Amino acid sequence: MLAARALSKRYGPIVAVEEVDLTCLGGEVHALVGENGAGKSTVAKILAGAVRADAGEVTVGGVALPGGDVRAAHRAGVYCAFQELALVPDWTVAENLALVDRPLRGRFSRARAIAGAVDTLARLELDHLDPRAVVGDLPLADRQQLEIARALTGDVRVLLLDEASSALTPPGVRWLFARIRELTARGAAVVYVSHRLGELAEIADRGTVLRDGRVVDHFTRGSWTEDELITAMAGQPAERAHPRPAPARTETVLEVEGLTAPGLDDIALRLRAGEVLGVGGLQGHGQAELLRALYGALPAHARRWEVAGRRVRRMTPVQAVRAGLGFVPEDRKRQGLALTHSVGENLLTPWLRAAGPGGTPLLRRERAWVDRVLAALAVKTTGPRQPVGALSGGNQQKVVFGRWLDRDRRAVLLHDPTRGIDVRAKHELYEAIVRLAGEGVGVIWFSTEVEELVHTCHRVVVLYRGAIADELAGERLTADAVVGAAVGRTAVAS
Amino acid sequence: MSVAVPARGRGLARLTDGFAGLRRQGAITPLAAFAVMLAVYTAINPDLFTRIQLQTLANLIAPLALVALAELLIVLVGGIDISVGAVMSLAGVIFATQMEDHGAGVAAAEALAAAVACGLLNGALVAYGRLPTIATTLASAFIFGALANEVLDRPGGNVPVEVTNATSGELVPYVPAALVWVLGAGVVLWLILNRTVVGRQIYGAGSSASALRASGHDPRRAQLAAFAIGGALTALAAILLVGSTATGDPKAGDPYLLNAIAAVALGGAAFTGGSGSVSGTIAGAAVLGTIGSLLFFAGIESYWQYVIGSLIIVGVVGLPALTRIVRGRRGAVR
Repeated sequence: MLAARALSKRYGPIVAVEEVDLTCLGGEVHALVGENGAGKSTVAKILAGAVRADAGEVTVGGVALPGGDVRAAHRAGVYCAFQELALVPDWTVAENLALVDRPLRGRFSRARAIAGAVDTLARLELDHLDPRAVVGDLPLADRQQLEIARALTGDVRVLLLDEASSALTPPGVRWLFARIRELTARGAAVVYVSHRLGELAEIADRGTVLRDGRVVDHFTRGSWTEDELITAMAGQPAERAHPRPAPARTETVLEVEGLTAPGLDDIALRLRAGEVLGVGGLQGHGQAELLRALYGALPAHARRWEVAGRRVRRMTPVQAVRAGLGFVPEDRKRQGLALTHSVGENLLTPWLRAAGPGGTPLLRRERAWVDRVLAALAVKTTGPRQPVGALSGGNQQKVVFGRWLDRDRRAVLLHDPTRGIDVRAKHELYEAIVRLAGEGVGVIWFSTEVEELVHTCHRVVVLYRGAIADELAGERLTADAVVGAAVGRTAVAS
Repeated sequence: MSVAVPARGRGLARLTDGFAGLRRQGAITPLAAFAVMLAVYTAINPDLFTRIQLQTLANLIAPLALVALAELLIVLVGGIDISVGAVMSLAGVIFATQMEDHGAGVAAAEALAAAVACGLLNGALVAYGRLPTIATTLASAFIFGALANEVLDRPGGNVPVEVTNATSGELVPYVPAALVWVLGAGVVLWLILNRTVVGRQIYGAGSSASALRASGHDPRRAQLAAFAIGGALTALAAILLVGSTATGDPKAGDPYLLNAIAAVALGGAAFTGGSGSVSGTIAGAAVLGTIGSLLFFAGIESYWQYVIGSLIIVGVVGLPALTRIVRGRRGAVR
């Protein structure tokens, strides 16, 4: 159905993709795997017509596609759900669904767009999305489902999914797989780009492994193990097991009782030094609000609120940093980093003094710390002066996390830090988190990946409708229990 | 395709929908502010609703409202247009000088064509040349201003009474013609922005050009269209101004530039692009246009008029922020 031959693409001196061949048969799910920066997204963009290849050709059903033309790709039946969500934030859900490929001339009827959106969303089992809602106000998971839904509105012969499941929760992933199976049953081809190896085992028929822009390996269903795949992606054997944190200490670093905020109802939490406390649950049940409230980014109040033994009446992010907290926000590009600023400056953001030095003098003074952090996290960068926007997603995330290393933190709050980053970077982050906990820092870690919670946390609280539905630890901390509590079913201790 | 909503329910849903849309685009505060100002105005000056005063007020507001709408389009695609004042001057002098030989209709068409050409030039440089809007339009403003001086180097021109009547007189008693022009232009622009694909693209281009491209649209064309429509609106503003002042002046447009930008801000548009409304912008222009004469009738000394006028503007812009803070508190205590 889809055949790409000898695709090459360079950005300036950097080779993104070189001589990549890819074929995907009708009715087949073809996985495209590789580390961040391996060229998966570039290949997907070339196939989708969003980027023109320097060399090579793409054919769909034997007909060549002109490069760099999204509309032509759509006409040929090639639709893509992009990793960097390509929805217009100021448009409504209905507008984003209706205004695909519409010519410049032409009328736009709001009522018809909404009616069409209601139909489409019902057909795709996305009734929870309001067609009138403005996309920019939706949570990430909803936006991602909408992005997928939009790709499914056309007459799809080839569907490209670029990290389309990165923000989806387990039910969301099941929803996506159901849609994929509908398509393949109709004979359409699906190219599936993902970091989640567990998903590939379930959905992928064949796969191609990319490393540094080249094809290095192929695999077919059942013929691979996760370790083999990771080795192929990394080019070296990699350990994958989730590291276990050392036992927590006894002193309490963060305690709240009766924490209430918009979207949160009467939360009680106690975090000990060196403890890794996982936060689970489906997207939109208050996890984001919990972290933001604890950090003071969301107005909240509590009956009792203590950070490192000091009482807190009202929290702001400035006070939070002063009190010894750290925060890794949900969206590293929008909330975490100043993309045009350098790696060093981004690391130092929380530590700037209003009247202190900046720029070169500051970097020189803090050079030792910056180098230590970059080395500890194995950040791939040309140095502290490189613009952080030039780094790959995983390395950007390391920079956001690295801010809080070795800075006398009492507790750090992590919002899904491993979202959309490659297996090796993920593993390095796990190690860093466990190391940080080992130094006596309390960690509150919200993750959409249940495996992370189960294996790397001491204890997991699962939120449901803004309240703690269950607290799991020890024997009861299993993937099934986490997922069960997330949908409102509290498992009985056995 | 049918949504099972009873006819009356649908009407109500439309109304609440429309209200939510206005609030989202920041139009509620300027609309409310204008309503309050109008009420205060009539309270201290009951003569407002005489024919002559209504006309004067409408003529004061109309050109500003139209230029502000032109500016809004550029703000929606994520830019800011420094050349609207110069384009207005140019279109004005062309209209004023061409009338004598060719008649008002041809002169208006020429002014319109010139302003649209200016817009297309700016738009082409910005969209296809990928130049920054603010620098491009600043440069082109000097060129357009020089052209205006070339056409007519000092205030002059010959404006027949019929033109004055058609632009700034009364359509029927108590209905100023200028008001009708503004409302007409507003309705047409609203239809373009909300009921055509190109209009939604204009919003989309300012909201996220890359997302627009990914859904198979070309944001450059939307930018070009915004500049062209903006040119047409600027020409209409110039024609109304020439009609009401009965002269063409190569500097007439200059004071409108900052006021137009202020009216767009007052109207609740986001200067990052993608958000803003026609009704809010017109209300913003009306507030700006009315403040001066309101304070005059209130008997406030001219120096203080500036201070109080500025305070009112800051108040209108600051009100949404204030309500946000109050609401945030209440949400937390809930």
